Amino acid sequence: MAGCSSRCRQGVLKLIQSLQRLVSGTLSKDNIDDELEMTMVSHRPEGLEQLEAQTNFTKQELQVLYRGFKNECPSGVVNEETFKHIYAQFFPHGDASTYAHYLFNAFDTRNNGSIKFEDFVMGLSTLLRGTVREKLEWTFHLYDINKDGLINKEEMTEIVRAIYDMMGKYTYPALKGDVPKQHVDAFFEKMDKNKDGVVTLEEFVLACQEDENMMRSIQLFENVM
Amino acid sequence: MAAGVAAWLPFARAAAIGWMPVASAPMPPPPREMRRGQDGLIMLNVSGTRFQTWRNTLERYPDTLLGSTERDFFFHEETNEYFFDRDPDIFRHILNFYRTGKLHYPRHECISAYDEELAFFGIIPEIIGDCCYEEYKDRRRENTERIQDDEENENNNDLVLPELSFRESMWRAFENPHTSTMALVFYYVTGFFIAVSVMANVVETVPCSSGPNRAKEVSCGERYALAFFCLDTACVMIFTVEYLLRLIAAPSRYKFVKSVMSIIDVVAIMPYYIGLVMTDNEDVSGAFVTLRVFRVFRIFKFSRHSAGLRILGYTLKSCASELGFLLFSLTMAIIIFATVMFYAEKGSSATKFTSIPAAFWYTIVTMTTLGYGDMVPKTIMGKIFGSVCSLSGVLVIALPVPVIVSNFSRIYHQSQRAEKRRAQKKTRLARIRATKSGGANAYLQYKRNGMLADAEEEASKEAGQSLVCKINPTFETQHHHLLHCLEKTTNHEFVDEQTYETNCMEVSLTKPSMSRSSSMSSSPHGLSSCCTRRNKRKSFNVSNSNMVGGRRGSIQELSTIQIRERPMSNSRSSLNAKFEETVPLNSEDQSYITAAVISMPTPPVTTPEGGDSASSHDFLQSNIVRVSAL
Repeated sequence: MAGCSSRCRQGVLKLIQSLQRLVSGTLSKDNIDDELEMTMVSHRPEGLEQLEAQTNFTKQELQVLYRGFKNECPSGVVNEETFKHIYAQFFPHGDASTYAHYLFNAFDTRNNGSIKFEDFVMGLSTLLRGTVREKLEWTFHLYDINKDGLINKEEMTEIVRAIYDMMGKYTYPALKGDVPKQHVDAFFEKMDKNKDGVVTLEEFVLACQEDENMMRSIQLFENVM
Repeated sequence: MAAGVAAWLPFARAAAIGWMPVASAPMPPPPREMRRGQDGLIMLNVSGTRFQTWRNTLERYPDTLLGSTERDFFFHEETNEYFFDRDPDIFRHILNFYRTGKLHYPRHECISAYDEELAFFGIIPEIIGDCCYEEYKDRRRENTERIQDDEENENNNDLVLPELSFRESMWRAFENPHTSTMALVFYYVTGFFIAVSVMANVVETVPCSSGPNRAKEVSCGERYALAFFCLDTACVMIFTVEYLLRLIAAPSRYKFVKSVMSIIDVVAIMPYYIGLVMTDNEDVSGAFVTLRVFRVFRIFKFSRHSAGLRILGYTLKSCASELGFLLFSLTMAIIIFATVMFYAEKGSSATKFTSIPAAFWYTIVTMTTLGYGDMVPKTIMGKIFGSVCSLSGVLVIALPVPVIVSNFSRIYHQSQRAEKRRAQKKTRLARIRATKSGGANAYLQYKRNGMLADAEEEASKEAGQSLVCKINPTFETQHHHLLHCLEKTTNHEFVDEQTYETNCMEVSLTKPSMSRSSSMSSSPHGLSSCCTRRNKRKSFNVSNSNMVGGRRGSIQELSTIQIRERPMSNSRSSLNAKFEETVPLNSEDQSYITAAVISMPTPPVTTPEGGDSASSHDFLQSNIVRVSAL
């Protein structure tokens, strides 16, 4: 009955709207929002020399990076939507938006909702050309969602769930039960040395350095440029 | 994937560091990096117009002329540039394709010239971007039609159709009369009978010559009542049969009954049946006479035969707001002028303007410039207002009419284009879906070919059923490596939908037998995992030679998840031991055989010594067991 009355009301509203349109015609006023969209935010990075000094990339590498960056984001800044869209293209099976969100926060060191080319290049410099310690610190900051210097189980579960989301639905073996939670438990087993329920930066770095396979894996992506 | 996004792949790969601490399996090694030379500029000279671009830009699409070594055939030594004797205007679009990854079709170009250029440079037209695709397809179709007309093809109706059921073929015959001769015959016969019926209705009322001794004239209908009745019966029979046949053949009967045409059909034949029922009742015969008016609706049945009539009806429906506005403004003017005229003529004697509603008639007749003259104002004020009324009438009517006319023409063209777009919608959606799933399927195909270590050209050629030109194979291998890393991190694999479905079906089959086995430790995980390893034991030959004793860990799990989640320190040999352990378990449950064909890659060469890392990728390769249902 309730659905019936709401539908009746909608019908009456539509009737009133159509009568109104009958009387006033179909011209509509210019939307103010359209005017605002005309001005585009554009950003230019600092000079090539400065960037070369601040990062561990050569001039050629910076050039190649900037060309790719500018191609995808002509305005010079990446906002979260664009970032998610770009990252999702690499993972068509599942939903990469959650993990992309955390990645975005990791790159956006200034927390202003957009990544400029400098932020992008600094992050990449750490990831590709930094020391092992720097890389581990970067990863720690990625996992530390609320940036309080500690990783607790909830944050880790979020991250692991985001990673599993990227796999999508059709996996082998199928995702049944709470696989992320078990993964998180295994992770805390390994990392949390003093078993206090949180992982600090030191614990994290220590545990990673003990794990040879992980060290090897981290060196894996050094030559992507 | 757009070529622009390919530039972000190094970033995505670098960001994969975030998975490393979480992963519990070692990562696969990265693909071999081809040491490319310095990125240089290439000069392209197309009939005198010079274009320059980076070498990398061209090499994004190695399947085309410019991206492959085929361009060396066009290298001009003396000027150190590549010379092409082709159209420079069209070349501009082709070069833009390399730059942006999207191919556009310029509207002013001739379609055959454009196609020739695309064919020369080895670019498939299917990758034209969505923005230009409709236009391109339209022009292409017009062109092929033109060619066909020129060739005077006789067998244009000789289509090879898939086998349609009788009902479907009947519906097709009804909707499209040109498909078969029977349909055409039916179409013309019904058209003829509609015309006959309408003519009969009209002629019925004409007064025929009466006899010499009759006082009043008799209409033909009353004179030849029997003949007209027989004719009417025949027509109604035909219409009823047609309606019933359509109803039977309709794919969705409910939708058919709701449609306008079927309502017209029903309204056209109802009066006859109602008349049959109540012939003798005098009281309702008056209503019966009114009902005969509805027989004129038979003329609307012609709209099935004429597309123009349908479009007219549709445009009137969509012009409704403009028509409504016209009506509203006219009503306003009529009321104003009628009031004014009434009060102006109130003073004069024996005036026809007895009330405001009576003055409505005068206002309408004057505003539409009809001017019957049955009501005329006599006072001076009345005449002044009368003239103002007729002048404003011209304006009020003339203003909205062009709006309606332009609306009509716009909607007419739009309906033409909408028809085309509706016809292309299925193929367009299929294209979009194909390109989207092409990216996802590319990786699955890649894995299926078993070439995960070093793939290069062969894999990238087989991988992906999309029509898109293949992107740089290095890019593909790197992308696949990235996806493989993700699989390793989560210890799950990507599969396609069918495999997933079959796996889930097998789970429901194997579940009861699994619970029977007591020697298997039943973690909720093991029971619920799809596709247990059990069934594979039948065809899997465990190479016992490298079995190393000693079980690591206490839990014997059959579920693949648990096997994969073992800590990294497990050597390969111990995992084979795991297989070995589970074999005796399996022998207890011989009864269970599902129809599953397991394709295992060859077990790795057994060298227990040596570190994990060196042979880790072989080890991992053996882990990936694909199950495909028969």
